[in-house]
Amino acid sequence: MEPFQVIEQLTFVRLLKASFVAYPVVNAVHIAAIGALLTSVTLLDLRILGALRTLPERPFMVLMRKVALLAFGAAALSGLLLFSVRASHYAQLPVFLAKMALIALAGTNFVVFAAVESGKQGHGLALRFLALLSIVLWCATLLCGRFIGFL
Amino acid sequence: MEILSKRFHLAGALAALAMFTLPALAHHGWSWTQDGFFELTGTIADIYIGNPHATLDVDVEGDIWRVELAPPARTIAAGFTDEVAKKGDEVVAIGNRSRDDTERRMKAVRITVNGKTYDVYSDRVPPS
Repeated sequence: MEPFQVIEQLTFVRLLKASFVAYPVVNAVHIAAIGALLTSVTLLDLRILGALRTLPERPFMVLMRKVALLAFGAAALSGLLLFSVRASHYAQLPVFLAKMALIALAGTNFVVFAAVESGKQGHGLALRFLALLSIVLWCATLLCGRFIGFL
Repeated sequence: MEILSKRFHLAGALAALAMFTLPALAHHGWSWTQDGFFELTGTIADIYIGNPHATLDVDVEGDIWRVELAPPARTIAAGFTDEVAKKGDEVVAIGNRSRDDTERRMKAVRITVNGKTYDVYSDRVPPS
């Protein structure tokens, strides 16, 4: 059997697939996590781009990054559950694959950002470019994700 | 002035997105379907009974129709599970077809397959 079909046959996945309550709850968690992720990432990026200057930079960035990572964890976990009920179907949807690629790019962007930030050189412009890229990537991820529901 | 024009661009983009999205939103509720009953006979090309939406793809002389069922829990409660029907089975779906005549899409209230009838929307089936 294909690996995706193996996932679909797991007992708890079959229960989730037919459930009246559990699936919408997982769906709600996914939405809440996405909201928290986009909000924290955008605020973080806007701060880097020069907005929200009245807020103290360090504590604000630390808080937003923490929220973003937690939210991403919750979104990934709930997303994996939503994916599991129809894994083989979603795995061949171009818009789903595009979403996964965008998440990989956004993750890479995060790692590059951390590397540039910890470097000793002057890097203000590079960080701002990465911050802008981050907003674009996460918004594109959101749109791709939403379109999965209509294909 | 420039801000105003940017807003108009944004509004235009959102409107375009909405137009692109709306036909796809069809499967919630009944507003997208015709009032009268519609009957479709064919063979099952694909079946999915589960979250987020339970659907049948029905082959009618080479054309594939999308038949939307009740929400999964309700469809299963009506007895229609993926154990009672499979690809290749002859199926009759009664329900309401899309108002858009170019679209091969309907929402079923009653499914008959392998000699058994399943009323997935028992409150909406045609009077017998």
